[in-house]
Amino acid sequence: MENIEKKLREEVRKLLIEKKVDAVIGYEDGTLPLTATPCFIANPDDADKLVWNRFCTQNLAKFVHDLVMQHKESQKRVKPEDRIKKAFGVVARGCTSRSLVIHLQELQYDRSECVIIGVPCTGYVDKKKLATAVNQEEILGGSATKDELFVKTATGEKKIALREVLADNCRTCRFNNPVISDLMVGEPAPPMDAASEYAEVDAFENLPIEKRWAYFSKEMAKCIRCAACRNTCPSCYCRICFAEQSQPQWVGIGDDPSDTQMFQLMRMYHMVGRCVDCGSCISVCPMGVDLRKFLKKLDKDAFELFEHRAGASLDSPAPLSTYKENDKEDFIFNPGGGGH
Amino acid sequence: MAENQAKEGWEPKIVAIVCNWCTYAGADLAGISRIQYPPNVRIIRVPCTGRINPFYVMKALQEGADGVLVSGCHPGECHYISGNLTAKRKFATLKRFLNYVGVEGDRTMFTWVSASEGDRFAQVIKGVTQAVRELGPASKLTKKISDK
Repeated sequence: MENIEKKLREEVRKLLIEKKVDAVIGYEDGTLPLTATPCFIANPDDADKLVWNRFCTQNLAKFVHDLVMQHKESQKRVKPEDRIKKAFGVVARGCTSRSLVIHLQELQYDRSECVIIGVPCTGYVDKKKLATAVNQEEILGGSATKDELFVKTATGEKKIALREVLADNCRTCRFNNPVISDLMVGEPAPPMDAASEYAEVDAFENLPIEKRWAYFSKEMAKCIRCAACRNTCPSCYCRICFAEQSQPQWVGIGDDPSDTQMFQLMRMYHMVGRCVDCGSCISVCPMGVDLRKFLKKLDKDAFELFEHRAGASLDSPAPLSTYKENDKEDFIFNPGGGGH
Repeated sequence: MAENQAKEGWEPKIVAIVCNWCTYAGADLAGISRIQYPPNVRIIRVPCTGRINPFYVMKALQEGADGVLVSGCHPGECHYISGNLTAKRKFATLKRFLNYVGVEGDRTMFTWVSASEGDRFAQVIKGVTQAVRELGPASKLTKKISDK
């Protein structure tokens, strides 16, 4: 990891000096021990701030979209001949690169507007799991090796096996290496346990329907509709979100449980074939809602029905914007059979 | 809705969102042919099933529908060439997703009825009403509106 970090800083410095990019989006050390936070690097001297470790959680594609849109907005009132082009570099692991693919497919910006610095990924640490592993004690310091974490708390030092605190989405990740990149830092990472990707969804599908509803309503009852999940999601970039629309008002503003359920159902349904399972929504959720259980189902269906994996390739179109003649029809209600 | 909560005398309330070119004309044919079908259905006409936002289905369930039926042209017969084929993809995932979170599959029905199939339209409405009647009044996802 140190090697990747060193090379990453060099490459970023080079890109900035050669003026190939105007800014680079990466991660820097967080203000608390064992955390990392997104950062923007515009000055080559700041490249040393960059880190790449087990605590880089958020999907940075969100910021690429934000920066490009901000720049486009700023150019709107400039005479066409005076307009300047900008490009943004981004440190991208597998899920980030898939989100970038989705943006490119949805024509949000041009490929020339982003420079993708690919990094191999072997998963990040789930903050909530880590907190549980140290009995919710305050973390005072620590370090990470290849498979272990050493965490210092007020009551002493604890050794934790990394795979115990790895985020669920990372553990079963299918795309831990970038699917597109302009330059790659480090060797490709070994594959994760992608075979059991849908194990959790399969188990949930087999529960009786009342149990499923009970779990869904229990999880949704936790939601305080802060919309952090939406704000961190790279696939959620509408200027006016349905959640705030008033004509029609999709989501009621009362405290009725069905309003919250409707908000989450609608937000999640937007993710058919667009959720890259980066886990950003889960990591920012202040209430610990189990969103992945439901989002992963949409991912599974998109693959089962349309053989589509979100953002896996620039050539496969968004599944709900297209169709095939032989799409499954088994869900169509057909009283008396026959017909066409 | 309030009247759904009192089970005796309950009648299923079904929202049918249908396309202008096929199913709506089919319903019209059922009407002029004097074919009887249950009066539990409220028909909403839209230009094409491809125009139906899946949110409509969820929202109808929240606002008190016991079942939602979406019906359009048979595949290959869409007035706008492919509207119903993209709709098919949306509703395949929507139906599975709602069932996954615990809303019974029979509350959201999708079918095709062409303009010449008045009898099929009546059959579909009978079938959907029967299925929803067996499930009973919807309570999941339904907004509780106070009686006061």
